[in-house]
Amino acid sequence: MARGVFGRRAPCVLWAAVLVCLGWAVPGQAQTFALDRVVDIHGFVSQGFLKSTNNNYLAKSKDGSFEFTEVGLNVTKSVSDQLRVGVQLFSRDLGPIGNYRPQVDWFYLDYRFWDWLGVRAGRTKLPFGLLNEVNDIDAARVPALLPQSIYPAESRDYLLAQTGLELYGYVPLGAPGSLEYRMYGGTIFIDFSSNPAVKNASVPYVVGGRLMWLTPVDALQMGGSVQALKLEGTIALSPEQTAFYEARGSLPQGFAGTVTLSMPVVLWVASAEYAPGNLYLAAEYSRWHTMGRTSPEVLTREERQQVSERFYVMGSYRVNSWFTPGVYYSALFPRVRDRSGSDGHQHDIAVTLRYDLATNWLLKTEFHALSGTAAVSAALNPDIPRWRLSRNWGLLVIKTTAHF
Amino acid sequence: MRSTFFNPFRSRLSWACVLLGALLMALVAPTGTAHGDGSNELVVIVNRQNATTVVSKEFVRQAFLKQVTRWQDDESIRPADLFAKSATRRQFSEQVLGRSVEAVKSYWQQRVFSGRDIPPPEFATESAVVEYVQQHPGAIGYVSKGVELSTTKVVSVR
Repeated sequence: MARGVFGRRAPCVLWAAVLVCLGWAVPGQAQTFALDRVVDIHGFVSQGFLKSTNNNYLAKSKDGSFEFTEVGLNVTKSVSDQLRVGVQLFSRDLGPIGNYRPQVDWFYLDYRFWDWLGVRAGRTKLPFGLLNEVNDIDAARVPALLPQSIYPAESRDYLLAQTGLELYGYVPLGAPGSLEYRMYGGTIFIDFSSNPAVKNASVPYVVGGRLMWLTPVDALQMGGSVQALKLEGTIALSPEQTAFYEARGSLPQGFAGTVTLSMPVVLWVASAEYAPGNLYLAAEYSRWHTMGRTSPEVLTREERQQVSERFYVMGSYRVNSWFTPGVYYSALFPRVRDRSGSDGHQHDIAVTLRYDLATNWLLKTEFHALSGTAAVSAALNPDIPRWRLSRNWGLLVIKTTAHF
Repeated sequence: MRSTFFNPFRSRLSWACVLLGALLMALVAPTGTAHGDGSNELVVIVNRQNATTVVSKEFVRQAFLKQVTRWQDDESIRPADLFAKSATRRQFSEQVLGRSVEAVKSYWQQRVFSGRDIPPPEFATESAVVEYVQQHPGAIGYVSKGVELSTTKVVSVR
């Protein structure tokens, strides 16, 4: 379960474990730290800095924030040629989220019957789009922040992993290339402890899959992902919300202050990636459908059914072993029917400079020019309504990561 | 309704970022292939018990990326890699896997940290690769042509 597993001493335990393993790994070779491959141990430590103009984003970034930390440590063991088990501990801090609380990021037992069929049981990362599984793996990508339209860092707990079963396989097709598929079903544990307004929240189910076609054109792959889940819970309305719904006559006589929520969500994304040699190009287009109902019903029909649109295009080029510049444009429209107002959209142009300072150590600087505030947290900007926040703003991200 | 599309271009900061990115790309792109090749002729080797005599380049690529894991006789494929800075590895990576060593390392980082798989073992010398292939029936490796290979079997790659 994605909860703190070591109690109040958790940060110390995790950091100590990472430092011990780093100490072991330094004299050895990159990638392979193993007792004759009996176990593989890998880990990473990332520290970032966020500085924005005008609006706070992800953290209290207007003043500059170092609340951008990620630490992970995983152990994998091949029990036999076909059976493998693994677990990763992960801790992060991103503004108000995480607060260094360690969680079991993923754990699994994986049995591969044939190349075209394997089964994994446990808590496994969700294969959604091209990059969801590397959302928290800084070393495995060029941008410090992935396109936030499709991979929002603040929603990591919703989108990263599910607990249940997964089927996967790789099917060579000959001349037409090959197919790689993954299908899964289970549930997601979401920690709402930092949001006292949400009570008894749960995800009764999440199901989905991803199909990628590795085309005969070298390094070109295309595919799609779909994910369906249902979110249920009880929400305590704030006095402001209660007054708002009362004013429009949505609340019954003797309203107790809480509403129950049932919200099916369907997400899909179409993906294309072309990565010949040192060049990397990717583009994705996604729509997320939410259909919320409350009891008592306080939402209008339009509020119940929301469709958001998200897409990005990205490119990078590895110039040499230590320098990789990259750029992307990402767009988010939280309500496709109404894109007006600064909170009806968020455009983001990002330029990244990645420096691999050593084999296992990298530094990134990233500049974002943004327009719109659709993904800006109201909680981080409490004094100004979102639609009145600065429309055009900028963000600087500096991040360094060591990994082994 | 007021159009909001592409508003970033109204900001000077946006333009500055775009121009900076374009400038950097233009400045650095021409030097991108300047790795030096130091080409030696590569050979792909398997264990002597392995009945395979010919493999496709595609099969070798899939085996080293662990997309396929079994030989035709159901023996598990055990790829053996050279260390990342090896010139032979760089040549193999670019010619057979179709991507740079750094891109392959990034591929494995994605697999390792998402819990998908672990990379093949890396060896410090080509003779260590030969020794590993000799000792493991399902092993497959690559070395320069001049290396002593009498304990393994060379397969042709088409």
